[in-house]
Amino acid sequence: MRVKGRHKATKYRGAAGFDYHRLESTATQKSSYVTAASLILVLILSSAAFLIPDRYLPGLILCEMLLVIHGVYRRGNPGVIARVFIVQLIITMSLYYLIHGQSQLAQGAVAVLRILLAFIPGWWLSITCAPERIGEVLTWVLPVKWAFVIAASISLLPYMTVELREIYHIQCLRGARISPKALRDPRNWSELINCVIFPLLIQLLKLSRQIAVAAQLRYFGKSKQPTHWR
Amino acid sequence: MLEQVNPHYQMDMVCADMNLLELNRVSFRYHSDSSLVLNEASLSIRKGECHCISGPTGSGKSSLLNLIVGCLSRPFEGELHIADGVVLGLVMQDPNVQFIRQSVGAEVAFALENLAVPYDLMVGKVQAALRRVGLYVSLDMPIEQLSLGQKYRLMIAAQLVYEPDILLLDEPWAQLDDMGVDELMSVLRLLKSDNVAIVLVEHNPAAFSDLVDHFWQLKDGRVTSGCFQLAPISFTRPGYVPVGKSVLAFEPFEFCFEDQSPLFVCHDHLELFEGEIVALVGDNGAGKSSLLKSIAGIQSNVRALPLAVLGKQPRLGIFGGELGLLLQRPNRQLFENTVLEEMQFSLKRFGLPLENADRLLREMGLEDLKFHSPHTLSYGQQHLVALASLASLKPKVLLLDDPLAGLDQAFYCRVWQVLVSLSQQGTAILFSSHRQMNHMPVTRSWQLSDGILQSEQGFMDCMNAG
Repeated sequence: MRVKGRHKATKYRGAAGFDYHRLESTATQKSSYVTAASLILVLILSSAAFLIPDRYLPGLILCEMLLVIHGVYRRGNPGVIARVFIVQLIITMSLYYLIHGQSQLAQGAVAVLRILLAFIPGWWLSITCAPERIGEVLTWVLPVKWAFVIAASISLLPYMTVELREIYHIQCLRGARISPKALRDPRNWSELINCVIFPLLIQLLKLSRQIAVAAQLRYFGKSKQPTHWR
Repeated sequence: MLEQVNPHYQMDMVCADMNLLELNRVSFRYHSDSSLVLNEASLSIRKGECHCISGPTGSGKSSLLNLIVGCLSRPFEGELHIADGVVLGLVMQDPNVQFIRQSVGAEVAFALENLAVPYDLMVGKVQAALRRVGLYVSLDMPIEQLSLGQKYRLMIAAQLVYEPDILLLDEPWAQLDDMGVDELMSVLRLLKSDNVAIVLVEHNPAAFSDLVDHFWQLKDGRVTSGCFQLAPISFTRPGYVPVGKSVLAFEPFEFCFEDQSPLFVCHDHLELFEGEIVALVGDNGAGKSSLLKSIAGIQSNVRALPLAVLGKQPRLGIFGGELGLLLQRPNRQLFENTVLEEMQFSLKRFGLPLENADRLLREMGLEDLKFHSPHTLSYGQQHLVALASLASLKPKVLLLDDPLAGLDQAFYCRVWQVLVSLSQQGTAILFSSHRQMNHMPVTRSWQLSDGILQSEQGFMDCMNAG
């Protein structure tokens, strides 16, 4: 009943240009090591954003400014960082104001800064490293399936960002009280969850199922030691 | 001597007259209390044959494909026999949701990675698969830069790389423009001549009649020989609307994304009047969706346009209930618990009478569904509910992005009736399509081709001239 006959695709054809491939192979191996180093750097910086004392924050800011400059140089969109910062600022400061009053607002600002500093390395990684290369590096330390899920999730981020934006716009046009002005009132936050986040999650579930089917049909999980495109 | 014979060729000889795949009296339903999606369906497929299974929207065509590839979550009755050694490839309806990687080469190589093919051999195989579908692009090219037709061929290449014996395609006509369909036809002809069996499910089988050897129709769960006949329909013409009040006006403009060269230009003054139904026609990727979003004021990364909608420069949230926009895949906007609540959501927010929802559901023949969850409806029904939720507002301007894509003629007609009814109440409607609307009595067309947007005369112009 199950589909068989996969042996056909594993029959190798003669490879041409051996030297070229060896050269390319060395270069891509180097690229995998760079990706691994980038992943470690991102882990360190993102963790540091939450763990280091306040007095070391300026040093971390300086490091991450370099990442932002490099990301912009690699055609990344700094607007994403700005949007995350503004949304974080509004939500976190509102919560601090509601819970602690004016006295704790400075601490709220530091919390916003730390969240932003934890976000920037991930943004930089998504620009500078291909998801499949991240997936390859992750297979060094994680089971293949987990590495695939993480790499696929990173690949999905741009698509889901577009989906999020479109659903938000559709619902705004339908009269939902989710404009930035309306969201200043916490009573409207549930509307954002109901008419934007829930439909987005439904889309995400559908999409992840379709991707799972697409991957399964293309023999994902067939080999315990898959090779990698470079 | 025998050892020198190509084993692949040997297999060809053995399998020449053998069924690659056989369905024998297969029945399937999604829930134990629901009706049968497939009712004793039988079908057999041989090497190099092209089968087309047609049927109306929601008749179970995609379920049949999913059953064949083993992706259904519930068991079925009957027999499905796939000959030993037969490999299947599936291209789903929307190629965008099937991509796993971001670049062309990586996408095609995905199956090879999973089959542990060494990298040195991958490049040749990937290039060969891309050549087979006529896609001559860089292996590092980001997939997002391809047109939909190219993406569709890329997805076929991603299947061909592991040399399937049967290629299954889910409703390719609905997504592709005419050029995309032509490109696909060329690829499929080539595959057929290479002895690859092809199974298409389509609600417009006529588009592939040159290629298909066996037509099947799927109705009430039964697969019978023959072609699904589209019922002859006549589209109601919108009533005569005197050219008077303009609701949307463009001065000549260049449409371009920030920091990019113009996507298209418009040399004329364009206007949309109350009660008009205008079709914006152009190929996939021509810029139709972006233009509609710009008119609604939600496309942020384009240069400012000399455009006035209801006398204002468009911006998100300034039109209230006077402007409606239905984007592609409108089921994305559904979130309430019942169809009625979904319909009433915008009415509540804009302070309009809630009875509008009930009345419209009655008019559209959807009254039976009003207490159903919108998420349990078929694709066509969800489409209608999303449209109805906008129609109940009776907006002055209604923008629809490819509202007919993926719908069969029965749903097509119902959507058109809603549009005509709205236009008779004065709503100006602008809808996009990737196909010519010659069979539909739109008041005029805006043609977007070769980078130029221009208005073409429709019957309204003739009437007004007369």
